[in-house]
Amino acid sequence: MNVQTKLDLLEDMLELEQGSLEMTCKLESLESWDSLAAISLIALVDEHFEKRLTGAMIKEFKTVQDIIDFME
Amino acid sequence: MNIGIKAIEYFLPQKILSNADLAKTFPGWTEEKIYNKTGIVNRHIANDDEYVSDLAYCAAKKLFENHSIEPKDIDFVILFTQSPDYNVPTTACILQDRLEIPKSAGAFDINLGCSAFIYGLAVAKSLINTNIAKNILLITAETYSKYINPREKSVVTIFGDGAAAALISYSEASQIKEFDLGTDGSGAEHLIVSSSGVRSRRTENNNQDGLSNSLYMNGPEIFNFTIDVVPKSIENVLIKNNLTFNDIDFFVFHQANSYMLDHLRKKCYIPEDKFFINMSDTGNTVSSTIPIALCQAENEGRIKRGDTILLVGFGVGLSWGSTIIVW
Repeated sequence: MNVQTKLDLLEDMLELEQGSLEMTCKLESLESWDSLAAISLIALVDEHFEKRLTGAMIKEFKTVQDIIDFME
Repeated sequence: MNIGIKAIEYFLPQKILSNADLAKTFPGWTEEKIYNKTGIVNRHIANDDEYVSDLAYCAAKKLFENHSIEPKDIDFVILFTQSPDYNVPTTACILQDRLEIPKSAGAFDINLGCSAFIYGLAVAKSLINTNIAKNILLITAETYSKYINPREKSVVTIFGDGAAAALISYSEASQIKEFDLGTDGSGAEHLIVSSSGVRSRRTENNNQDGLSNSLYMNGPEIFNFTIDVVPKSIENVLIKNNLTFNDIDFFVFHQANSYMLDHLRKKCYIPEDKFFINMSDTGNTVSSTIPIALCQAENEGRIKRGDTILLVGFGVGLSWGSTIIVW
């Protein structure tokens, strides 16, 4: 999956307009990055990448780049 | 003769906590966003002077009245709750008296939450199979709202109060088949009210010892646990019943959160028309979600007598269980 598709998935999950998310964007600056987004992200990586994400791992994510790097 | 669920009814307290109410408490959240993320519009909340015994009483009364059941016919009362009126005495004993069930009946409480209804069917079936009882009143009732900090977004949006009552007896048509049960206490801390028992009395101020008065839920850990155990439990319970996936007419999971349920449905390859999600007017009522869902599914015409239904409960404990019933 290419980076653009991954960004699209994240934008969709965070209810943001397409093309609005930058790789360097700090997660804590996003209003929709909250406890429910964490659940959505676990579902997203399980469904599309068959990977498991723990709460502790999610806490370590600081930027959009960190999440994209995990999506392999 | 089989042992089966003869009838189910449920009761929700009158007071409602709506998404509009929550949107006022949490700036930045809209009614629509709360609905999209949880699948819930309204949660019913017990009044300050309304307790588990009251909810359980109302659910049982409704069961008796709508299905012509006499209190004298009941010879065992099982109440599943984690928010009982008292830890001492047993709330099921109070219900025996209030419901005018004969003194010859047995009664006890069992402390389990999201998996309660599955365990309830297992215990009730066992008591009937061993000739200890014939007509069991199985009640699930929770007032988790009394444990919830109204500022704690991740739980106040999800949980609602409620109770369900079922009659389990010998039956011609309906049947409770074999079970798959499981436990992982290493995850106890992920869904906990740490001051809820005797342990909290060690210190005068509960919080001094790091014990909290309110419900804590680690959503990501609970979700990961669910993704781990639910598909395996479905596989196990099909094997134990010597059935295949295609023999199942309908699936009812614990109604935890509609977003999680939809993910689990896809993960288990269950078609939408065989899967039940309806939390909009109840929220997650913990132990009562499965019996409430069965009532709703019947009212909506999605299940009918004779259908083979797979039930899965999972959550606090951590504890899980599956069974297959013929409705």
